Amino acid sequence: MSFIRASHLSRTFKSVKKKEGLKGTFELLFNPQHQEHKALDDVSFEIEAGAFVGLIGANGAGKTTLLKILSGLIPPTSGTAEVLGENPFKRSLSFRKNISLVMGQKAQLWWDLPALDAFELIRAIYEIPEKTYRDRLGMLAELLDVTKLFQTQIRRLSLGERMKMELIGALLHWPKVIFLDEPTIGLDVLAAHKLREFLRDFNSREKATIILTSHNMEDIERLCSRVMILKTGKLLYDGKPQGLTQSGERQLKITLLETPLVSDVAALTGLAPEQISLKGGEDAEELANTNHLWLTIKNDQIAHTLQKLLGRYTISDMGIQGQSLERVIQKIYESESAAGSRT
Amino acid sequence: MKVPGLQWRWAALKNGLQEDAAYRIEFLIGLISSAAVPAAIQVVLWYAIFKVGGQTEVAGMGYSDLVAYTLVSTLFTQVRGGDHDFDLQEMIRTGGLSNYLLRPVSVVEFVYLRGAGGRFFTAGICLVIGALGMSLVGMDPTRLIGAMVLAIMGNILHYQIGAVLATTAFLWEEAYSVLMVKNMLVQLLSGELLPLTLFPEKWAWIWKSTPFYLYVFGPTQYALGKWSTLELLHAMGVGGLWMLGVWLMIRITWGLGIRNYSSLGN
Repeated sequence: MSFIRASHLSRTFKSVKKKEGLKGTFELLFNPQHQEHKALDDVSFEIEAGAFVGLIGANGAGKTTLLKILSGLIPPTSGTAEVLGENPFKRSLSFRKNISLVMGQKAQLWWDLPALDAFELIRAIYEIPEKTYRDRLGMLAELLDVTKLFQTQIRRLSLGERMKMELIGALLHWPKVIFLDEPTIGLDVLAAHKLREFLRDFNSREKATIILTSHNMEDIERLCSRVMILKTGKLLYDGKPQGLTQSGERQLKITLLETPLVSDVAALTGLAPEQISLKGGEDAEELANTNHLWLTIKNDQIAHTLQKLLGRYTISDMGIQGQSLERVIQKIYESESAAGSRT
Repeated sequence: MKVPGLQWRWAALKNGLQEDAAYRIEFLIGLISSAAVPAAIQVVLWYAIFKVGGQTEVAGMGYSDLVAYTLVSTLFTQVRGGDHDFDLQEMIRTGGLSNYLLRPVSVVEFVYLRGAGGRFFTAGICLVIGALGMSLVGMDPTRLIGAMVLAIMGNILHYQIGAVLATTAFLWEEAYSVLMVKNMLVQLLSGELLPLTLFPEKWAWIWKSTPFYLYVFGPTQYALGKWSTLELLHAMGVGGLWMLGVWLMIRITWGLGIRNYSSLGN
């Protein structure tokens, strides 16, 4: 049986449109104009109990709107959602006791109090028995390594420490469904890694169903057994994360002692010209260096391509890397646009 | 025996008080300045009218009556509702409400109780200060207890009315102004600036038709012995009916308003 079910979910937001300047201000006062924005468009899926699902997409793709609908904060404009067998927007007491929503950009604990006081209030809200509360708190604190910080005011903690406290606050009642909206945003590499380890451990130990939104591909690759990609409110992809990396496609970066011609490399290796680029990387030095060769290549093409290149050029350095999340999303978007233009 | 829902309500009250205690000096300075400044202005005003201007009576009240009113009403003004209705409308407007909507508690009650802890603590301080002061001048301090109960009812009612008005934020971004107007009316019609007996008789219906006089004027009248216990009970009955009516309005307005909540800010 599905734990979470979305059927033809759509959500439209209406907002006031204000033109620039003083004239716009007066127009707004006497003749307000409204505009509509479709944040979700006919999205359907089902999620089984205990799944760890990654929800990705560019800004404004509708990820957070979907989480808000599934957690019961807002209703859909059309379509239906069912979580734990209930309509989330009814927000029944049993529903609220069994879910949790963590928003990486929003503090949910009380800033001026030490974490322990906030947890104590959460214990009372969810009527958690004292012993169970102590056991859970001890376990979560150990997993996240924050016991020493319990008596520090939340606002005095670092971003990573605060996020860990937010997670503890969100999990103390042992929810069956957890919605995580960019939980690793702003965290340093180590803190993000620890959080990821914790989430994976919690998911496998407690069999909680987790839906995670993130811009960080590492979050998705390391944690999620299933990925959903949204673009301007539409569900573009729903499947395993391995499918995202396009069956082993990699980026091969080769540094030569000379600047090659794309046509020469294509003729030599048999690769299509669109698989070859002289510009790539992210830092200024890489972008400026014309002796770099960037090849988007499948695993089984690597040996043959290198053999051909070594026979013709002098290679001073090389490296292979997976594709970044941005690149994967971009590719899927591009293919969707291409499919759209063909139909 | 475990009373359902009592645990979180008590914890919210305690937690709010803990938060106020985190800023003890700010809390005390706020309390003293909000009491001392209006009281000083009123005492100077009465001095100017009676001692400098030579008046002997204003609307049936002498200099000592008005100074006594000012000092006692100052105690109840401190207990009068805080600004937690402003917090509510701000949460609706900015999406902060989402933090509470998914908790298994009543949002309106939770926000009140977290904010009321400090007020109830203040009520205790005012009770002690008032009882000491009244004993010193030979007045009956036990009347303060009944007066304080009415003042606390006023505190709850003040928040309830604010909670209803705050729901305009579901539809209108400038709901803040509605609450500002309500607070201005409260200042004028609660008796915290002037005794309501100073209103011309033909205008008395204005303050009598709102519940605001139950916040400060009513408790002060009872504490000073101007109202009988029967009048106090009558005022409590009126307050109770208002509370019930506004509670129903909260249920309706929140039920309707929440459908327009868009959980902005993220």
